[in-house]
Amino acid sequence: MSKALVRFPFYLIFHPFAGYWELKYEQSRKANLIVSFAILVLMAATNILSSQYSGFVVHLYNPDDMNSLMEIVYVAVPVLFWCVANWSLTTLMDGEGKFVEIFASTCFALIPMIIIRFPWIWLSNAITLQEAAFYYFSESVAVLWSLYLLFVGNMTVHQYTPAKTVGTMLLTVVAIGFLAFICLLFFSLLQQIVSFVTVIYQEISLRY
Amino acid sequence: MRMSMRIKHVVVLLAMAGLLGAGMGTAAARADGVPVAYNYSFWGDTVSSPAPYLPAALLNGRDLGVGPFKEPNDLFVTADGDIYVLDSGNNRIVVLDRQLQPASVIDSFVRDGHEDTFANPQGIFVTDDKEVLIADTGNRRIVHLDRQLHLVKVIESPESELLPANFVFQPVRIAADKAQRLYVLAVGVFDGFMEFNADGTFTSFIGANRVRVDPVELFWKRISTREQRSRMVLFVPTEFTSLDMNEEGFIYATNGDQWGETIKKLNAHGNDILRREGYFSPRGDIRYTASAGPSRLVDIDVADSEIYSVLDAKRGRIFTYNGDGHLMYVFGGLGNKRGEFNTPVAIERLGDDFLVLDKALGEITLFQVTEYGSTLNEAVRSYYRGDEERAVELFRKAVDMNANLEFAYSGIGKALLRQGKYAEAMQYFKLSMDQRNYSKAFQLRRKEVLREYLPAVLSAAMAVTAGLLLLKKLRKMLRRKGAATLE
Repeated sequence: MSKALVRFPFYLIFHPFAGYWELKYEQSRKANLIVSFAILVLMAATNILSSQYSGFVVHLYNPDDMNSLMEIVYVAVPVLFWCVANWSLTTLMDGEGKFVEIFASTCFALIPMIIIRFPWIWLSNAITLQEAAFYYFSESVAVLWSLYLLFVGNMTVHQYTPAKTVGTMLLTVVAIGFLAFICLLFFSLLQQIVSFVTVIYQEISLRY
Repeated sequence: MRMSMRIKHVVVLLAMAGLLGAGMGTAAARADGVPVAYNYSFWGDTVSSPAPYLPAALLNGRDLGVGPFKEPNDLFVTADGDIYVLDSGNNRIVVLDRQLQPASVIDSFVRDGHEDTFANPQGIFVTDDKEVLIADTGNRRIVHLDRQLHLVKVIESPESELLPANFVFQPVRIAADKAQRLYVLAVGVFDGFMEFNADGTFTSFIGANRVRVDPVELFWKRISTREQRSRMVLFVPTEFTSLDMNEEGFIYATNGDQWGETIKKLNAHGNDILRREGYFSPRGDIRYTASAGPSRLVDIDVADSEIYSVLDAKRGRIFTYNGDGHLMYVFGGLGNKRGEFNTPVAIERLGDDFLVLDKALGEITLFQVTEYGSTLNEAVRSYYRGDEERAVELFRKAVDMNANLEFAYSGIGKALLRQGKYAEAMQYFKLSMDQRNYSKAFQLRRKEVLREYLPAVLSAAMAVTAGLLLLKKLRKMLRRKGAATLE
């Protein structure tokens, strides 16, 4: 069981069509969720380690701006936003995917960003500026691979045509913008309400 | 985000001030009266630094016994230390000797047998032979006197097809190279500096500033009629504000722009060849409030070893850079205290000391170099000369006095690199955030390590492989033997 848990993600990234099909129809939901969260944790860990240990020739970091908690947020929040936005859109656009499936497919798509970038954290300490081209090339490969997986995952999970998938993905990005705006609005209003209440409390407590 | 960072900085600064206060029993300002200077870190933060220069004396015309200066505009110091003060309001030039005592006053010259005087001159330049060139702005001419102060020539309204018919020649700043060519900064000339031959004929323009086009304005211009366009502001290049010439004959110039490169080093073709390898391209302050805006550079002075200083009239600060464009130190400021100015207009180096001319007050402040400043000056000079051992020694000393001086670490690293101490050099390049040199040092270090261990590692690998192969063969043979005995 646990061996299959580890082996399946690797099978999926090399055979995305068959892999995502299996993910949607054959794998257990629990197993998918376990692996998905593990991927998210690994992704955050990779980012944290990368910001601390990447080689000096490819990575300059200001210790003042280092924040591991924020690195976790930078992984969790975009994934959450993407999933919510994608789910909200696809329910209206005849998508067949459930939220759990969307979440799992998104997380699985992040695997290349871990397995390519993790070794490069250490390798980047052993390269010169001239060889840094390989580093940047691998980074781009990782991103493109992940995007491809995201595309295939979306297509398979929702049973869309390729064109519709591309359209949905672009719309998802727009929806994320709206979501971010609404969140900002919500928090700013919340802040105002809180400050309003505290000011009233202050006023009253100072008077009586 | 930006705001919160500012606040954070303030909090950190306050905390640091508190610590300092607790440690030394002083308030935020140093009790010994030493003003704390600043520099910029790689990340663009303001970091404190020891004072590189301290005000030593204040010179004014009355104390010198030549009568008060009236709106002096320019200053020139010759190689042997004679100081020429262009006292524009009094239409004269006061010459001081190395001991800052008045040596002579030039207020007239003889032209065609008649006495002639200046009218509101704005610029002065003295050649190595002590010939004096004066931009006699009010009289719209340039006056060239020899070392006995006899008239050599007068350049009046130049004629050329490059110049418009109604051109009014108003020179304000002037410089000459070793071939006696003159470079003149004139009012209303947008094509760069005017270049004159040794005999005083106008030859060409050199080093025009670029035009900046505001996209919004360009849009309105596009859609407006010719009539409307003719009433709009023209897109013209900005004028320079000052120039100076180094020993090799390159022109260093500043312009009063609020954007782009405000300091330039022009070669004979008028191309900008200033090295901008520092953390920020040289332009004075890089951190300022939006309402105050960037530095407005009004004067430049080139010293030896490609060190140059610029004067920011907006905040009265003097910024000194080395040839690579690293900010060495900053001093000065606007205010009423000693070492602060009202309207600084010109700076000159007097040896390693500085003279700053204040126009409104008619005063010259003499700044004397501190130990920190002279260490840094000497370090940069030694490095420029190629005397690396001395440079490292001095850079180390400078770093001891100011650990925030990031580019000094790079100087130490470069010397270590050349001495073959690669691992150590890497450390220093990391401290100065110098990726390119770090990579160089790392490459050599890697080669060194590989050369040391690779043969051993490869031999071991080979031995292991050979051993394994032999073992396999032996096993096979044994098996065959066993099989044979079985049969």
